[in-house]
Amino acid sequence: MNTTLRLALLLALLSGAIVSSQDDENKLAYFQTAAFNAPVLSGWEDQSRDQVAQFQQPAAAATIRTALADADGPIAAAEAELSSWLGVEVGQPVYQGKVNLADGTWSVLIYDIDATSTASIMTRRAEGQFVVISFLERDPAARTVMLAVARDEAAREDAGAEVAYAVAALNAADFSALDAGAVVELPSGEWATYSRERQLAMGMVFGNDSFIALQEGEIGDLETLADAWNRTLLGFFVTPDNRIYLALGLFVVFVILGTLVFSFRWRARGIQKDLALLDELARVDE
Amino acid sequence: MTDISSSNALENPMEPGAQPRLLRILTILTVLGFAATLILGLFVAGTDIQQGEVQRIFYIHMPSFFGAFTAFGATVVGGILYLARRSETWDQIALAGVEVGLAFALINLLTGAVWARPIWNTWWTWDPRLTSAAIMCLTYAAYLMLRAGIEDPNRRRAFMSVYGIFAFVSVLITLFIIRIVPETIHPVIVGASPQNAQGGFEATSGVVLALVPSLLLWLTLMPITLIWHRVRLEIRLEALSLQKIRALNE
Repeated sequence: MNTTLRLALLLALLSGAIVSSQDDENKLAYFQTAAFNAPVLSGWEDQSRDQVAQFQQPAAAATIRTALADADGPIAAAEAELSSWLGVEVGQPVYQGKVNLADGTWSVLIYDIDATSTASIMTRRAEGQFVVISFLERDPAARTVMLAVARDEAAREDAGAEVAYAVAALNAADFSALDAGAVVELPSGEWATYSRERQLAMGMVFGNDSFIALQEGEIGDLETLADAWNRTLLGFFVTPDNRIYLALGLFVVFVILGTLVFSFRWRARGIQKDLALLDELARVDE
Repeated sequence: MTDISSSNALENPMEPGAQPRLLRILTILTVLGFAATLILGLFVAGTDIQQGEVQRIFYIHMPSFFGAFTAFGATVVGGILYLARRSETWDQIALAGVEVGLAFALINLLTGAVWARPIWNTWWTWDPRLTSAAIMCLTYAAYLMLRAGIEDPNRRRAFMSVYGIFAFVSVLITLFIIRIVPETIHPVIVGASPQNAQGGFEATSGVVLALVPSLLLWLTLMPITLIWHRVRLEIRLEALSLQKIRALNE
């Protein structure tokens, strides 16, 4: 294979990589800030700006928002975020808990803001600040909450126990009155459903935790909301600051190339010295 | 073909200022190209949001392997042509290929380790590709040690030509092992990564913009320029040895 053909083949392979990557870019869209990356929710109205990722579903009166808050604790961070976003002072959360996800310990907080609004919040510390991911619903006909609960028995395959716990904690209803429904396949995973009249609960097992979505009142498209919330939670990540390793890598490159080039010069200089010595010896002999 | 035993060949290569014009041009192009590809990789290509800034090492890590491939390829060509024609110049090219290729292979190996620390959370793992790359480096380091240990020049050149040809198997194994052995965590950029690959990323247009010039530089200009400089050095070293022998005989 000649050089031209080889280069043409290489460029063809790389251009193939570009085409396939452009397809992938459509699948993996992120709203990027200096501090975090939040997945863009397709089908949701994108209201993101500056350092805030915000997506709204007008039909369900629901908003999912990711932002940073300066605070000294998770509750203060949630309060600061709701205050700066909605301009309201919230009272104590109606639910609080903690879950350990792959990227750290998250506090789970739920606030009933007023008669028609509920905010479900997950927050964790990130680089001296708090990342606050909020699910806000303002549907007067239904109350929707999202939460994550640490699993008490990892061997179980369904999220029934955590759904029961969440229902009891938030709705004061009897979980045994809910009928187990079909398992729903969503992009975020497999969700078990439990329902009765004017009440729907969904639960998905994820490692040592279960993600729960509860809706009471006029039941709407909870599947879409739960899926979007979980895609936000699981897709959210902070770009690691590893510039020191890049600097170390460049240092290695310069040291090795420098040593190679220096060794050429050093050996060439040695040759010159030896030649001079040989000339000197020849003159002495003469 | 340079006849180093002739008086002209002795004088020319000994002259520090006697660098061929083409080599001077190649050297300048290589230095400028290296600077340009660094700028492309460090400042023009976007930051990988999953991996962070350390991903930029890739613009040197992968091309340096292909630079080593070219240099070790020169060793194979030099070895075959030495065995066919018994001309010292081909042996000098083979030796230069090993020295330059080993430097590039070490850059490849060490930049990979530096990248792996934050991405895989370890400097080193006995992954098939990492292991074969390490074996490749050791194989060519052994070439230099063995070469230094054989006194008879003709025997040394013939033996090292054969060694250099067979050593290239380690390069091919390193290149193709992740296509053969699925139990690897090393990502593949062109084509699908193995199932276990960790730390792969998508070849977006920014990546390609920085990668293609760097790949072309390391594949062609860098090894050719450095090998040429090393061959000239070897010619001068051998000529000096001849002069020393002559001086002793006189």
